Amino acid sequence: MSVIGTDIAPSANRRRIENSIRTFQRLPLTARIGAVILLFWTITMLTVQLWPLADPLAMVGRRLQPPSLEHWLGTDALGRDVFARTMEGSVWSIPIAFIVVAAAVAIGSALGAISGYFGGLLDSVIMRAVDVTLSFPPILLAMSVAATLGPGLGNATIAMVVVWWPIYARLMRAQVLEVREREHVEAAIAGGAGRMRVLVVHIMPLCWTPTLVNATMDFGQVVLLAASLSFIGLGATPPSPEWGSMIAEGASKFYSWWIAFGPGMAILSVVLATSFLGDGLRDLFDRRSA
Amino acid sequence: MTINIRRLGVRPLAALLLAGSVLSAPLPAAAEDSDTLVIGRSMDVNSLDPARAFCDTCQFYLTAVYETLITLGEDNKSLVPNLAESWEVNDDFTEFTFHLKDAAFADGSPVEASDVVWTFERLKNLKGSPSFLMDGLVSAEAVDPRTIKITVEAPNSEFLNKVSAPYTGIVNAEVAKAAGAIGDETAAEADKAESWFMENSAGSGPFALAGYSPEAELRLARNDAYWGEAPAFSEIVVTQIQDAVSQAQALETGQVDIAMQIDPDTAKSIRSPDVVTEVVPSFNFVYIGFIPGAKGMADVLTPDVREALALAVDYDGMLDFTVGGNGKKQAAPIPNGFPGTAGLTPRSQDIEKAKEMLAAAGASDLKLVAGYPNDNVYGVDFNIMMQKLQQDFKAVGVELELKPLTWAVWREELGTGEWPITAVYYAPDYFGSGQYAAYFAMVDGYPWTKRASVGKPELVVNAAETGIYAKALASSGEAADAAYAELADEMMKDTIILPLVSPDLVLAHRSDIEGVRYSACCNLPLAEIKRK
Repeated sequence: MSVIGTDIAPSANRRRIENSIRTFQRLPLTARIGAVILLFWTITMLTVQLWPLADPLAMVGRRLQPPSLEHWLGTDALGRDVFARTMEGSVWSIPIAFIVVAAAVAIGSALGAISGYFGGLLDSVIMRAVDVTLSFPPILLAMSVAATLGPGLGNATIAMVVVWWPIYARLMRAQVLEVREREHVEAAIAGGAGRMRVLVVHIMPLCWTPTLVNATMDFGQVVLLAASLSFIGLGATPPSPEWGSMIAEGASKFYSWWIAFGPGMAILSVVLATSFLGDGLRDLFDRRSA
Repeated sequence: MTINIRRLGVRPLAALLLAGSVLSAPLPAAAEDSDTLVIGRSMDVNSLDPARAFCDTCQFYLTAVYETLITLGEDNKSLVPNLAESWEVNDDFTEFTFHLKDAAFADGSPVEASDVVWTFERLKNLKGSPSFLMDGLVSAEAVDPRTIKITVEAPNSEFLNKVSAPYTGIVNAEVAKAAGAIGDETAAEADKAESWFMENSAGSGPFALAGYSPEAELRLARNDAYWGEAPAFSEIVVTQIQDAVSQAQALETGQVDIAMQIDPDTAKSIRSPDVVTEVVPSFNFVYIGFIPGAKGMADVLTPDVREALALAVDYDGMLDFTVGGNGKKQAAPIPNGFPGTAGLTPRSQDIEKAKEMLAAAGASDLKLVAGYPNDNVYGVDFNIMMQKLQQDFKAVGVELELKPLTWAVWREELGTGEWPITAVYYAPDYFGSGQYAAYFAMVDGYPWTKRASVGKPELVVNAAETGIYAKALASSGEAADAAYAELADEMMKDTIILPLVSPDLVLAHRSDIEGVRYSACCNLPLAEIKRK
């Protein structure tokens, strides 16, 4: 037994890795580029504290200096290194996007699944809440919620979750409506499985593909919305080097273009990367649109 | 002038739209060579009714449309005749007699003493933002159609300066009354003329209101019946351009003749040979205020701790980081050049002493919160300024948390003492130091005493200031200057108001425009501007 046990585990792992590599190779080139960019930002986020960069919060040079060998992206209005701040910004923007998307997926999918599976009054109530939320432009709703709660990244995160969950509720509901009619579900019900068990074990595992694709694409959008909220003063508070607030600081010093350039490019790269990757994943999972 | 209404420079949301609006904003066609003067600025109009208005835009609008009895000369110090050709003051500065010129309102009717009396009574009774100018008014009477006698309850050597403020511009009483304006004691509730004043004007100035659409444009037309020298332009259009960069672009392309809110950093980037920029000192200043009455701060933000924090600030660096060195340091909350400021020495940084004082006060690891409006005023980005303050405080071991707020939230939290430090700005309404005493002095009931104490006046009131202020108002000339200097000293000792920067002002206009100047009372006197 022990021989077989130790034998199977590595080969299963190896197979999983090989599968991943194969999946990656089946992705279109753009999606692979997107994945690499996202990997770059993730690694940056995890390791930036160890990089030999200038202190992102300290004055390290004269103010408003254009890019040079010493300061790759110049210095801002307080003489801080824009490159260091841009890299440090990933520590703020990436985890927030992750938290928002994860929370929106969790809340939205749970409500959407309940709505789709149980139907009736519960369905109506949840879906009307979805309609109401979706009828507001996202930035406006996020602004109102963030303004009510007060400035700060925590509150901005809550505001963005409020804006984002309904999309996932709709996605999950549509999937559940489709899957619950399948024969294996009928079989499970006939076999005496409880309703929650049917939903969680027999239906939901088959419903994740659109959610995954959408979540990948939304990741970049959330980075953008978080930056927008910070830009208008409802997100990160100074002196944190959040990308949106850095762009806001650059906007009043428009002719010192480099202040906003670094964070602007960072946001652009994340948004593009998630769009590319999301597109690739959709093609992979959904043969109809491929 | 208080802070509440002014907003200029980059407002965040508007800045978000900046990139698009620069290209697509419906600006008027090129202004050159025309009989129309086009001015670009972010308008902060709260009202166009002289007794309710209180804003930078209001200052130059009212100056162009309504005339004051006295106005401020080009030296920004001396008072010169306007509607009044001469005046007398009694020895103890309680009675003022004005003799009117032979002037007429835009509808042709003569400017009479009764109009002046009605205007001043309405200004007082309406209890609007500028009503403080008539504080202490006991009576205004028309001695004859050309003579007005004003009595105030206590000596006030600054009363003549006060009637040079644009908000005291004389209104055609008959026209205004017909439009529903009321001057008597019931005015605060009964007067319904504000909307009329937003569409019409009833003054004797060189221009008359031709139209105002909020957030878009303010249009003035020449008053052809003007009794004085006719102005050079037949029309003036003030067009809404939100921020300094867009204003600079509009100026470079010739869409506007004058841009009013270009900061020195942006001015440096202007390369067009057709644009003239001149940097002049202003009487505006940006300050931080300590609020010992804030929650849990009564035993923390003591005079010693405030003094230590004041010593921690790098004033030279502040000047550099906020306005690129284009400004002046300022000692007391009275602008440089105003009475009593000649001998004052601005504060300077002393980190060692600050640390010692904090240690002695047992406040070595102090944590403070600063709530302030998230705005850009007179070229100073409050976020930049407060981050600099944060770093300065950090150098003496004080942690400062920053809370940039919208104006509405800021105003609400200021009243309830949510945080112990704030940042605001102030611009004069007329030339005179009394307005600063009346706003910043730690006298029970005065605006900043209320703010700093949040209901516990014993924390901040400085008993000496009442007497010194009264002494200043009862004297004139050098004696008044000396009293204001003494008052400025006391206000510095209060360490409640800490002026950080007095930003320079950029006068930016097309090279074919002349006569652009900065006035301490009236901002930009429009009637003096000509095209070469």
